[in-house]
Amino acid sequence: MRNLPPYPTVLKPYGRAFVELARRRREILCLSGDLTRQTEIDLFQEEFPDRFIHAGMAEANMISMAGALARRGFMPFVHTFGVFATRRPLDQIINSVAYPKLPVRIVGFMPGVSSPGGPSHQAIDDVALMRAVPNMTVIDVADATEITLAVAAIADVPGPVYLRLKRGEIPVIFDEDHEFSLAHAHVVSRGQDVTLFASGMMLSAALAAAQTLSDAGVSAGVVNVPVIKPLDRATVIAAAAGSRALVTAENHSIIGGLGSAVAEVIAEEGLGRRLRRVGLNDTFAEGAQNAPWLFKKYGLATQDVVDAAWSALDREGPAPLAPVVVTPPGEYAPV
Amino acid sequence: MQSTRIEEMQRAADLLRLRAVRMVAPHGFGYLGQVLSSAELMAVTFAEGFRPGVDELVVSPGHYIIVAYAAGPELGLLDEAQLESYGRDGSALEAIGTESSPVVSITGGSLGQGLSSALGLALAARLSGRSEQRIFALVSDGELEEGQVWEAALFAGHHVLDNVVVLLDANDSQVDGPVSSITTLEPIAAKWESFGWSAFDVDGHDVAALSEALAQALASPRPAVIIARTSTSTGLHCLPEGADGHFIKISGELIDAAIAELEVRRA
Repeated sequence: MRNLPPYPTVLKPYGRAFVELARRRREILCLSGDLTRQTEIDLFQEEFPDRFIHAGMAEANMISMAGALARRGFMPFVHTFGVFATRRPLDQIINSVAYPKLPVRIVGFMPGVSSPGGPSHQAIDDVALMRAVPNMTVIDVADATEITLAVAAIADVPGPVYLRLKRGEIPVIFDEDHEFSLAHAHVVSRGQDVTLFASGMMLSAALAAAQTLSDAGVSAGVVNVPVIKPLDRATVIAAAAGSRALVTAENHSIIGGLGSAVAEVIAEEGLGRRLRRVGLNDTFAEGAQNAPWLFKKYGLATQDVVDAAWSALDREGPAPLAPVVVTPPGEYAPV
Repeated sequence: MQSTRIEEMQRAADLLRLRAVRMVAPHGFGYLGQVLSSAELMAVTFAEGFRPGVDELVVSPGHYIIVAYAAGPELGLLDEAQLESYGRDGSALEAIGTESSPVVSITGGSLGQGLSSALGLALAARLSGRSEQRIFALVSDGELEEGQVWEAALFAGHHVLDNVVVLLDANDSQVDGPVSSITTLEPIAAKWESFGWSAFDVDGHDVAALSEALAQALASPRPAVIIARTSTSTGLHCLPEGADGHFIKISGELIDAAIAELEVRRA
């Protein structure tokens, strides 16, 4: 894998992986909530027009229809932005999909503050909402390799899945032989001082932060947690037990997402490790022309992960500074 | 139509009422009014529209599940003895429909979702080449206050899901009182027609009128809605004036009177 930014990027890894899966699985249907190109399913529409259902801007109807289709042997993949996929039709997800435990895949793009479109377009609570729903699997990946592997992996999950995906240029962090597991979190490295747990777009920030901390003499490990529910408790417990302090990093509210999930486990285990949660600190995110500005303003930058680890360890003096990464066009680096 | 056929369906409607009284009686209260209003609509649908094992039935308002339970024995989808467990601890027959509810394809307690579910079943039928399959959705007029119903109505109209029939129990009853006192739904038929549906606005306690509307709905080249104008007290004269139609209280002598009235009429 590539441990440090900038990363090369690719376009439409989800759209391509989805078409590939649909070639093998005839029961797959594609539902769109009027964001077809934005959710990369123009590729599917071109190849399988008879299996493409345009539901229009009507998320509640779209989700309930998907549930009924799933009862009759189809596997609907529902697409829109994450914010519209989870907030608007929450009741429909619960009653028409999750309670009957149907294999509907809800694919929500544009997570957290990756959208400069204002609070109406920012899915800052989608993980929390979906995590609270019984039977739901919740996945947050941002690397193109994991996206490709995750699409294939979720096809066989018996119940519903919420898949949270970055929109647009997708970094390639992992090599092609990377293993993605729905059951196991991925220990990238072990750290005796601090373990950084990261999901989705914050993985690259955690990797960069670990490097900065290591350069400053801190033993920092990284655990990649793409599957937030069901959480791999054993890996979280083992990593937490091996470190003096813990940091979670998520492109989401710190309430109800990865940070909460990790906190619950370490509290239940009585591990007593100090925990810092990097994410949106119970706030909406306003006023941006671009996403990186929001990551910086709201404390989701690499430096914020470094600072969180530094303070959790009670280190003296100022935290080491994360290098500013120059990102050529077409490449990706965390803020 | 032959008068015996009409009488048969009227008797079937009263059987639904009788079963509902017996299911609700041990509890002293329950969703009896929903059966009193929808009895003829459902009796006609079960006699002349719905084919068990072939067609789909969605009961959108979950508290109407009692009318499906009541019809279950004749449809061969439920053992009559099981009706005694209605609403009791540990029963599969919960008072508000669940995933355990027999008889129906889908039900739901959170209102306004059932029509969308019916459309999903209709899409599944279309994608699977089951062009003769009929998709019935029992919907209440109060549910028309939910926006999702109209999302679904738009979708069905656009996609011409002509195997969908909405059985709309327009009983003008919701929790806080008459629907018409809370939200103006009229003109109901014109609304559905403007969404691309065929609408049949009939007296929902007139078996012959319902039968004719059902035949036309099934033949319609568009999705169809039967707007059954009903009341939550029809068919049970012994009920006191002003009984709360959404959640009728019934106990003691009133139960005996209700059962006697229905048994006499069915004799």
